Order: sequence, then structure tokens, then C-alpha cells
Amino acid sequence: MTITQEKPLAANVRADFPILHQQINGKPLVYLDNAATSQKPIAVLDTLRHYYEFDNANVHRGVHTLSSRATDAYEGSRDKVAAFVNAASRQEIIFTRNATEAINLVGYSWGVANLQPGDEIILTVMEHHSNLIPWQLIAQRTGAVLKFVELTESEEFDFNHFKSLLSDKTRLVAVVHVSNTLGCINPVKEICAEAHRDGAKVLIDASQAVPHLQVDVQDMDCDWLVATGHKMCGPTGIGFLYGKLELLRSMPPFLGGGEMIADVFLDHSTYADLPHKFEAGTPAISEAIALGAAVDYLTSIGMDTIHAYEQQLTDYLLEQLEQVPTIRIYGPKNGRDRAALAAFTAGDVHPHDLSTILDQAGVAIRAGHHCTQPLHRYLGAQSTARASLYFYNTREEIDVFIATLKEAVEFFGSIFG
Amino acid sequence: MTSLGNLRDLYQQVILERYKKPRYRGQAEPVHRYQKGHNPSCGDTIELTLNLNEVGDRIEEVRFEGEGCAIAMASADLMAEALTGRNVNEALEMVQRFQDMMKGGVEFPSEFRKLNVMQGVSKFPVRIKCATLTWHTLKAALESSSSAPPNGFVSNE
Repeated sequence: MTITQEKPLAANVRADFPILHQQINGKPLVYLDNAATSQKPIAVLDTLRHYYEFDNANVHRGVHTLSSRATDAYEGSRDKVAAFVNAASRQEIIFTRNATEAINLVGYSWGVANLQPGDEIILTVMEHHSNLIPWQLIAQRTGAVLKFVELTESEEFDFNHFKSLLSDKTRLVAVVHVSNTLGCINPVKEICAEAHRDGAKVLIDASQAVPHLQVDVQDMDCDWLVATGHKMCGPTGIGFLYGKLELLRSMPPFLGGGEMIADVFLDHSTYADLPHKFEAGTPAISEAIALGAAVDYLTSIGMDTIHAYEQQLTDYLLEQLEQVPTIRIYGPKNGRDRAALAAFTAGDVHPHDLSTILDQAGVAIRAGHHCTQPLHRYLGAQSTARASLYFYNTREEIDVFIATLKEAVEFFGSIFG
Repeated sequence: MTSLGNLRDLYQQVILERYKKPRYRGQAEPVHRYQKGHNPSCGDTIELTLNLNEVGDRIEEVRFEGEGCAIAMASADLMAEALTGRNVNEALEMVQRFQDMMKGGVEFPSEFRKLNVMQGVSKFPVRIKCATLTWHTLKAALESSSSAPPNGFVSNE
């Protein structure tokens, strides 16, 4: 990849993503489902292959050379992730399968050990199921009560409502950083400050933020932050939990097994220090190493560059979408306040039908409830269609998407009269 | 839609018309069978109500309520029409035939030829479950023996 000032970012990076250069149904692929998962650059694919061709061994076990190489690469990847989100210590980064597992880790470790009947957990109506169901389960188990921040008229996080829900009963605030449906970027730093004033802990689901924005956990001052690798150019099967060191130290283990122990007896064990206390069993080694390669790749472009480019592209997407007859876009209207995605409906045309028609033109979008069923219910939409961008998308791709979308709306419109 | 020609196979005129102006939306009267169907991956829902004859071996009326795409809704409407006045065993055979049609190759005989407009769906594998949701739900409705609202729902995942 070579960055030149003259060309838009996408023109410089598209060659790094082999999958983008193919035809779908006889048309060039236009991949606009990045909020579901991103595509992977050659650097990440090569890292996976290189690991299995030259370095494959179990980590933290052997004395032999391959084991040492695998361990160095695995732990090196932790350093990269720690630096990427500006963690104060590498021990604050726990590798998990995905963001969902990271949230469950906090729930079953910290939640079960600390929550009492009547304690309150504040979530929002816009949470992904991954930051809702675990807390439903933990609430059932501990007797804690769930409260939900609603939306403002512009379909954003209602800060005043949030403040009204906070009290001395609030033990945890678990909030999404960037909504995968509304696209809104929530004021996470202010949320942390407000919650801490009442002594509550804060967990941030940054799955849709870390791939697109500069995330700084120390500046944000969150207690935990979770993200997943596959939405940020990395492979599936790897995600991470950031947690403040003292907090992670105070938490009991989540899963038990190999790797997370210090000393094992038949009737009891002592546990390894952080981060290994929370990484039971053989981890996803190649995936973790490849996530490190993804972090290197994103860093080489620069998160500020990515964000600036995506903002321009999002403005263009919103501007073009608004021209489509019968369209209803969910979330804030101003492109500056939102991430690079737009969920929408088009009159009586069902999102599934839209998605099939777009797929015939090579355009991949998401249709359905995007794992935010309660939010869809709140918005009065059974399902929506969603176009989500990444830094390798172009204006020309948005043009293809919009032209086909207009055709689809006309096609159905002619029937509906 | 010149660039999207093969969508005409999928979205035949009859399907679009039935989506826009369904003829069998509502609730059967009285209700002898009631079943909910749900497609968890997309959120499509269907509620079928059936009115049977006194012996319970013939379908007098089928009605549906629900939310979903053009394929799912049109499929429910066409199914309701085709099943009116059919005996239960014949209806269960039709469930099987519809599933076979979605795998390609099989058609309904001429008395049910309207159902054959759904054949185009077989070329769009990810949409087959949209078309079959109503038939899965019907099967569960016929195999139950009560008119009480069901506790659960049929999922075609």
C-alpha cells in the first residue's frame, strides 16, 4: 500500500483486498456489509499462512524454538492491541473469541461476584444482542435489575434520560460506543464520567468503533472495553477485552483450564497473573497473531485518515440516500455525528426484497434486524436494510448501490402505484 | 429493470400483486387450529388460523397475519387460497410437494398451478426459507390437535 495525497484512500488500498476484485452475478462486487464483518488485507492473510507454514506450535508451553516463536508472536500481538487502544499495560488486554465472549467474561466473573438483588444495570435500547442477553442472564442469576436509556427525537443516546436513571443503586453501565443500526457515536467519555460520579462501573462495547475511530481507553476512562477482530480486518474467532488492571485483578476467573493456572492441586489451584488468568485453554493463536497484523495494517494507514475518509464517504452516502423516493433513514441525520453506516427502509419494499435485488447487481448489504431486535421494535420497524462502509469503499460503489436501490424502489413502486 | 432481468422470475406479477393486495389476510372463523411461525434470522413472522370441518379432516378456511417480505407474504396468501376445501392429508402432501419444488424440478399439477409462480424462488437459495415459512407453519398447525394459542412457534431455521 502506498498513500498518495492526490487519490482518495480507497484507490490506494483496494489492491490489498483480493476478495473485492470479483464479479457477483456478473457485476463487480460492491461490498457494503462491513458492520457485519470486514474484508481482510493480504497482510493478514499472509500472516495466517506464514504462521502455519513456519511457526505453528502451542504457546506458553514448550521450550523448543517453534513454541518460543509462536509465544513471541502471540504476546507481540497483545502489545500491538494494547498500544492500538492506548491501554496503560499489556496485562489489561485479554484475548477472547469475540466481543460477545468478552462481555460474558465480565458478566460471569465481575457480575456474579458483585451484583446483589436490587442492584441496577443501565443499558440502552440500542444495544446489540451481545450486550443485552448476557446481562439478562446475569440479572436473572443475581437479582439485579436492568434499566434502559431511550433515544432522543433525533434517534441518539438520550443523555438526560441516562442521568435520570443513574442512582446509588447503579452498579454497571454497559453501552455501545457506535450503534450498528443507528450509526450514532455515543458520548462514551461523558457517560463514563457521569457513571463514575455515582460509583458505577462502565463497560463499552466498541465493536463498531475500534475499526473506524481512534479509541483511547485511558482518555475515555472506561472500566472495560470490548471489540472483535473480524470487523477490523482481522480473522474471525478473535476479539479482546480491555479492563483496568486493578479491576481485572479483583475479578475471579471466568473459564478454568490450562494456561490460566499458577499451581494446581487435586482440590484447589492458584491462578496465573494477568492476562493469562482469563485465557484458559489453548487460545486462538494464529487468529491473535493475524489480529496483530490487522492492527499494524490499520496503524500504517492511520485511524485519523480512515475516520476522515469515512466521514466524507458517509456524508455522500446519506446525501444520495435521501434522494431515493420513500426512503427513511434511521439515526442522526448529520453525517458528522455518525459512523459509516446507514440503516433504512424504503416504503413498502421489504428489506429482504431490496437485498435480493441489490445482490443481483453485485451489491452486498444487510437486511434484517442486525441483532438489535428491541431497537427495531422501539423504532417501529420489523426489519431494516443497512449499508455499512469501510475505508476501501468508493463513491463509485455508492453510486452503483443508489442507482440499483432506485430501480428496486421504482420496480415495487410501479406495483404499489 | 433491464439490468435486473432475472428478478422477473422471482418477482412474478402474481407475487407482487398478492404482496400488495393479499386476499387471505385475517383470522379464520371459528378458529380450530392456530400456529405461529417465525424466521429468527430475519424476524419474519406468520400467524395461521384454520377453520376445519366437523370431523376435522378437511380445511374449510385458512387465514394468515404476519409481517415479512414479498416472497413470504405472497406464499402465505397463495397457500391459503390453494388449501381452501382440501382435506388434511392432501394438504400435508402439498407441504412436501412445495418443499420439493423449492429444491427444483417438481411442479404442482394444473389445479394448483398458481403455486408454481413460487418456482422462481428455487433459484435464490437464501430466499427459500421465506417461501417455506408459511408451509412449515401449516404443517405444525395440522399436526397439533388444539385451537389454543400455542406457547411456542415454528422456526424454519
